[in-house]
Amino acid sequence: MNEREKLLEQVMAYDFCMIDLGLFLNTHPADTNALKDYRTCYEQSEKVRKLYEEKYGPLSLRHMPNQHCWQWIDSPWPWVKEV
Amino acid sequence: MWFYEKKLEYPVRIKKVDPRMAKYITSQYGGPDGELAASLRYLTQKFHMPTKELQAILNDIGTEELAHLEMVGTMVHQLTKGASVEQVERGSLGAHYTDHDLAVYPSNAAGVPFTAAYIQSKGDIVADLVEDMAAEQKARATYEYLINLADDPDVIDPLRWLREREVVHFQRFGEALRIAQELKDKKKFY
Ligand SMILES: [Fe+2]
Repeated sequence: MNEREKLLEQVMAYDFCMIDLGLFLNTHPADTNALKDYRTCYEQSEKVRKLYEEKYGPLSLRHMPNQHCWQWIDSPWPWVKEV
Repeated sequence: MWFYEKKLEYPVRIKKVDPRMAKYITSQYGGPDGELAASLRYLTQKFHMPTKELQAILNDIGTEELAHLEMVGTMVHQLTKGASVEQVERGSLGAHYTDHDLAVYPSNAAGVPFTAAYIQSKGDIVADLVEDMAAEQKARATYEYLINLADDPDVIDPLRWLREREVVHFQRFGEALRIAQELKDKKKFY
């Protein structure tokens, strides 16, 4: 695993926590512990996502492109097999 | 609507070519208990869910299933990418190769194309949620069969993770069913 993939896996891990906690909160909307965990995951995710996007380009289209080139297509797509 | 995130929900990094395993795993792409059926089922049933919680559950699990569809497609692709025709034939993928080269195609393990007849959208919330719970159990069982058929840790790891998600979804649908039943009791349909 290279540096880019390592950082990406951190984003993936925090985002997954939000997906899982989000499902739980849909049926337990007043669970303050789960809400607290969600808030932590969100903060951590934002932090590593910002780091990743500064270094390797956008993770989604909700991202300000630079003035000269369209970086969205630069980093490899996640299904591509490494050789 | 959806914004694409340029990442998988959980890592898939398969190095070894294995057309035999690709053929089996394809069933979780376009087979009767696969991720395409799951996402289509929930994202279709969400429209007639009567409360905000139930709408949220169907919408959000349906969305996660789309991420699983992408993971399974990635597995199938990586298991066949770079395979020789000889490897393809030895892995019993010759029939697939004839019609699709090594392209990912939504079918079951025997090559039967995906059909919407795999899913129901009954309009009755209890009937639909019970189907959803059964669907999660069937998907869990399929992942267990696939884990039994696999020997590469790079393949087993994401399969185990996907199996675990079916268990979690089953739990959430169980809670949704309780909400639906209470709602039905209050309304007194009979
Ligand atoms: Fe599921």
